[in-house]
Amino acid sequence: MQPNKVAASRPVSPSSNLSRRIGVGGMQQVALILICVIMAIGMQLTHPRFLSSANREVMLVNYVPEAIMALGMTIVMITGGIDISIAGVLQFSAILVGLLLNAGWPIYLAILGALCVSALIGLINASAMIVFKVHPFIVTMATLLTLRGVDLVISKGGTVSGFPKAFNYIGQASILGIRVSLILFLILAVIIGFALKNHRYLQNAYFIGGNRRAARMSGIRVERFLVFAFMLNSLLAGIAGIVICSQLNAASVSFGQNAELRVITAVAIGGTSFSGGSGTIFGSVLGVIFLAMIANAFNMSGINTYWYDVVVGVMLLLAVFIGEYLKRREISR
Amino acid sequence: MESILRAEGIYKSFGANLVLEDVSINVEAGQVHAVVGENGAGKSTLMNIIGGIYRPDKGHLYLDGQPIPFADPQEAQKKGISLVHQEFSLAPNMSVAQNIFIGRERQNRLGFIDWKGLYADTRTLFERLGVNLNPATLVSQLSLGMQQIVEIAKALSYNAKIIIMDEPTSALSENEVDRLYVIVRDLTAKGFAIVFISHKLDEVFTIADQISVLRDGRLVGTTRTAETTSSDIINMMVGRHIEDMYPPKSTTVGETIFSVEGFSQTPHFHDINFSLRKGEILGFAGLMGAGRTEVARAIVGADKAETGRLVLKGQTFRPRSPREAIEHGLCYLTEDRKVLGLFLQMTIRDNIVSAALGRFVSALGFLKGGAIREESRRYMDMLEIHAPNDTLTAINLSGGNQQKALLAKWLCAKPQVLIVDEPTRGVDVGAKAKIHQDLRRLAEEGIGVIVISSELPEVIGLCDRIAVFREGSLTAMLEGQQATQREVMKYATQ
Repeated sequence: MQPNKVAASRPVSPSSNLSRRIGVGGMQQVALILICVIMAIGMQLTHPRFLSSANREVMLVNYVPEAIMALGMTIVMITGGIDISIAGVLQFSAILVGLLLNAGWPIYLAILGALCVSALIGLINASAMIVFKVHPFIVTMATLLTLRGVDLVISKGGTVSGFPKAFNYIGQASILGIRVSLILFLILAVIIGFALKNHRYLQNAYFIGGNRRAARMSGIRVERFLVFAFMLNSLLAGIAGIVICSQLNAASVSFGQNAELRVITAVAIGGTSFSGGSGTIFGSVLGVIFLAMIANAFNMSGINTYWYDVVVGVMLLLAVFIGEYLKRREISR
Repeated sequence: MESILRAEGIYKSFGANLVLEDVSINVEAGQVHAVVGENGAGKSTLMNIIGGIYRPDKGHLYLDGQPIPFADPQEAQKKGISLVHQEFSLAPNMSVAQNIFIGRERQNRLGFIDWKGLYADTRTLFERLGVNLNPATLVSQLSLGMQQIVEIAKALSYNAKIIIMDEPTSALSENEVDRLYVIVRDLTAKGFAIVFISHKLDEVFTIADQISVLRDGRLVGTTRTAETTSSDIINMMVGRHIEDMYPPKSTTVGETIFSVEGFSQTPHFHDINFSLRKGEILGFAGLMGAGRTEVARAIVGADKAETGRLVLKGQTFRPRSPREAIEHGLCYLTEDRKVLGLFLQMTIRDNIVSAALGRFVSALGFLKGGAIREESRRYMDMLEIHAPNDTLTAINLSGGNQQKALLAKWLCAKPQVLIVDEPTRGVDVGAKAKIHQDLRRLAEEGIGVIVISSELPEVIGLCDRIAVFREGSLTAMLEGQQATQREVMKYATQ
């Protein structure tokens, strides 16, 4: 006689149908969208210019560098890592491209040079992490501090400017009324978002973040993927630097101050777990939009902008609480 | 015997699932009361209710005949009910003493820890348990067996009268299990009541005075151990007969498909030689730490071996990483499914295809969702993984189903040689028999199967030949009639 069936495992406990269908991350995203919509309506009622096309553009364009960096940070955080050196990379790339342009390099070569160096910084981060088995926070903090110093040295503490007109195209021109920088971001977001969801290689991020030892035993080249993730992240920070440099037609160490904190906040608010294993590009993009809207609402409503950090800090805590709560509800039997 | 704890008419449901239905048990002082049942039968839920972690929907709890309210874990502890969890909750880098008295350390007037007093308290507890352990030892330096004892000491430190142990032996070696028995008997002799949850019937019959059987959330019955037999209990657990826990052995053995020659890695193992033939299941028996897992890890390239040769289907090859091994059809199902095997927060489907993603991609490397879905459902049916669908996260599965999912993951990788390490640890009887059948079927299909197991009846019942390991050496290769528990133990220990 065949041994009979085991008592069926108890499936997931009481969560609503909706949360069952779209999952924990989905719930958080729905909440985020609702908050954004409510905020937009509220602002529009009190400040009719809020949703005007001019203001929408300001809102988005100001946050394009953060949005680009959030793409790479999402992947790094899904693997369970973190990279706080990106603001340093952004400044470095902006200043470097400026210096190369002023040195007479052709635009495409100057950009290529800055991007290569940016990616190289990611390689250094990942290598130090893997070879010396140091936590990514420490490694990338060291990189951040070092880069800040380097940035001061190479910019001589001042502003680099006076680039050829054509270079401004990336940051300032529009195609069909949409800023080129925004289009650049959208293309990157769609490609990376789609690949993260559907491409075999990027799927490794979830396995590594979910259980690093099991991932290795399952035949995933964990170290190699981490190198890839950190290099991509650094490369995107480099792109963000070039965008800023082109937007402002200048480069200085004051650009992108604390950008790493804004980016990590946006990614976390978008539902990527700090312990790794879950997260989506869509969520991170929502997180950036959310931060951009808050910043803009502050500017417009004339409330003292000192309060901005307070609100963002509280929102970050709330998002993490909600995420953890939803996750626990799904897991508890 | 006087009743010390009585739970009556307990009902508990999670959402639409009724997990416990009208369950009553009666625990007597000075006795070991075993609670058995397949995974998902509701054992852990019942214990969590008694231990104050869950609140039941209905029911009553009596302590020494007095009704008590269902409380939180701290309240339950104060009343003398302590729970020793299956997964220990000790902080590895703190001392044994601090772990036991966490938050309750003796303090001096300034609020600093009174170390002398703390160590003295700890030593008193250890004396009651009859163990000799330095209170300042860090938990990370202890074996799992000693950690278990520290957990018990912690329970005692709350002046527990009733200690609930949830699968206390699942991670212990045989010696450690014996020591645990001694401690349990000693505690009952002193009047403590022990509630003992287990999957292993031999264990239950060794230690328990009474046995309660749960099935599908209902109490099937409670009997005195002396008045029952293990086949009666199995029938109660599954509601039917399981005639053969182990499928018949192989009759036809083919040519050698995999062999290992002169394999060494100091200090874990040296000069290991064996071969695996088509159609057979080869067992690795031995005590914990005999080097079996280390050999398996080195075979698949997870660790480096110093010398030796692997021959797979006539080809010499030496994988440098698990990835290379998998590419050559050499797969290793790790022990400890939660730590090394599964991606617990991911879906069953993701887990099943995780070692074989390369099979489901288009030319550019994009995943084919439809093919993945089909394959994962096929394996769910084949291995009888019980879940509403394959998008359930693995953490929500019972132990038996998790283990089946892990097996599915490695079958999905299309192995030629499959090494399984402790394939049925912490798995219920029904799932265990199913896994045994599946392993036998794989062998019959021509896949070389190696089973590492610390459970002697399993190695003997399932395997055609048994390689016995002792302290890093392969001491015997037993076959047929030779393969008895006595013989295996002889080569494993002497």
